[in-house]
Amino acid sequence: MEGFVAAGLIGVSLGAQYALLALGFTLIFGILGVVNFAHGGFYVLGGYVAYAAVHHLGAPYPVAVIAAALVTAATGYAFELFLVERRIDDHLATLMLTLGLYLVMSTGVLVVFGPESPQFAFPITGTLRGWGLYVPIANLIVLLVCLLAIGAVYALMYRTDFGRALRALADDRQVATAQGLRPRLLFPLAFALATGLAGLTGALVTPILSLAPHLGDPVLATSFLIVILGGLGSIGGATTAAFIVGMVEAYSSVYLGGSKGALVLFVLVLVILVVRPSGLFGREVRGA
Amino acid sequence: MERTAPRVGKPGPGEIASVVVLALAFAVPFISESPLVYSITNQILIAITAAFSVYIMLRMDLLTFAVPSFMAIGGYTVALAALKGGVTDTLLLAALAFSVPALVALPLGALVLRLRGVYFVLVTFVLTEIVQLLLFETPGLTGGSNGLVGMPATTLFGLSLADNRAVLFVAAGLALAAALITAGVTSYFRQHFAAIEENEVLAQSLGLVVWRYKVLGFVVAAGLAGLAGFSLVNMLLTAHPTSFSPISSVNYIGYTIIGGRSSMLGPIVGSTLLVWATNIFAIRGEYSQGLFGVLIIVVVLLARGGLLGAVRSLLLWVQTVRARASGTAPTSSPTVAPKSSPTTRVAP
Repeated sequence: MEGFVAAGLIGVSLGAQYALLALGFTLIFGILGVVNFAHGGFYVLGGYVAYAAVHHLGAPYPVAVIAAALVTAATGYAFELFLVERRIDDHLATLMLTLGLYLVMSTGVLVVFGPESPQFAFPITGTLRGWGLYVPIANLIVLLVCLLAIGAVYALMYRTDFGRALRALADDRQVATAQGLRPRLLFPLAFALATGLAGLTGALVTPILSLAPHLGDPVLATSFLIVILGGLGSIGGATTAAFIVGMVEAYSSVYLGGSKGALVLFVLVLVILVVRPSGLFGREVRGA
Repeated sequence: MERTAPRVGKPGPGEIASVVVLALAFAVPFISESPLVYSITNQILIAITAAFSVYIMLRMDLLTFAVPSFMAIGGYTVALAALKGGVTDTLLLAALAFSVPALVALPLGALVLRLRGVYFVLVTFVLTEIVQLLLFETPGLTGGSNGLVGMPATTLFGLSLADNRAVLFVAAGLALAAALITAGVTSYFRQHFAAIEENEVLAQSLGLVVWRYKVLGFVVAAGLAGLAGFSLVNMLLTAHPTSFSPISSVNYIGYTIIGGRSSMLGPIVGSTLLVWATNIFAIRGEYSQGLFGVLIIVVVLLARGGLLGAVRSLLLWVQTVRARASGTAPTSSPTVAPKSSPTTRVAP
């Protein structure tokens, strides 16, 4: 029974991390119609920026996390403004641009930091014990911050004019533009928000999991699974699907062992695509 | 305009030139004895075979990451057939390497390609990760992290193809077969594929059952990747998971896009130059990807036709300048028709 609860806790914290990642990915797709292949790259970049801030500049960990989110957001902003913006209506072109950026970013990290994973540990150690459970405090803090960030994204999207503008652009770009919203101003900001979320997740999660230059690939694959499951472009779908994926991974690694969870998820996604082609909570968003 | 728009179903100059170029690869073993030349030519031929797989899907505006997956399926099929089944006949192995991945692709494609194109891209990306996991997780069949070692040399009509030169012949033969298949499919279905690339909704409303052509393309692309897998396994004499890493999918995409996606010569030019450059400049495998990334960005922003398209526009430009200098009117020569993308964006 303790094992069951412990796996559930792991599932929830995995789910919260995945939700933050997938929210960024689904926002970019929903609002800009861009499939961001660099999303995993921003996760890795966030991790390395936080690592560099702590180990080379001696910054305290919370400051490093904020720095990571800001640096990745700024990179995303510039990338959208100068490159993606020029081919924004051609979905294959934007896809290849983000793929190119991902390759450049992961090679850059490799050149600067080398292929070995650095020693990047969470500053707080120790575990909470009770009811036969051992929970590392670090994981609890990460879970809490992730949940807060998810809440903040929801508040931003549903309670502010900025969020309303972004959702209007996602809903119908032409009508929204006719109403006076300016995509040229808002698109880079939306991209920055999303990549900043990926960087934040990377900075938070890599100390308790691992940090390596080529981590972007599996992270990207997981994001893809989540957004397909939840429906591309859907915010609520991405959040729910992230927790489903987290749970499936946690329980399958405890009860099936190894990496069979990934296989279970892939089959699950294929089944979902047959039964509900636009995802669990998706509606027909855009014809990209 | 006859020159640029070949008749329905007939191979155009790009397809014919591609087949000829790859047929010329058979000459390499007679010209050179150098093991370095053999090794690089072998790698280039494998890269071309795999890049054709990406090229076919790009004809329909679909990007596939699944090339290493189907290469793995083809390569492991050959290794298993040779090691456990005792099959060494090259023709039989090639048929297996083509048909097994194609059969796997059929249900998957039928499932995913009914949906919007972007789902296909995402699913192929996830597929490469899954196949990699499967290779490690099924040691009974695939040898797990040891791979399958000790492949016997292949044979052709009883002749053993064991030495370097023979291996190069097999690679050239497989690349030529892949070129013939690619040329056949893309010229026979040229108009269907072009209709899908240009405007899928319109094509559908005119009665084209779009997903069938997409599935057909996907199945053939998977078969071609399988041939590349056979070629790779035959060169290394082992089938190992690292030969089919998910990251390598980006290389094949890079070869095709950088070379030029508008003609079959594009993947050939891209694979040849990029594989040669990575070998000659001894760029470490991981660093070459950064170079590919930069080149992909440059091609997408500045030279949509890739290297091939850039050369073609340059030639046309020279032609126009010369015509102007000699006082005659420039020949009507619209540059490489850029893919028209309907602009729905309203300027702010």
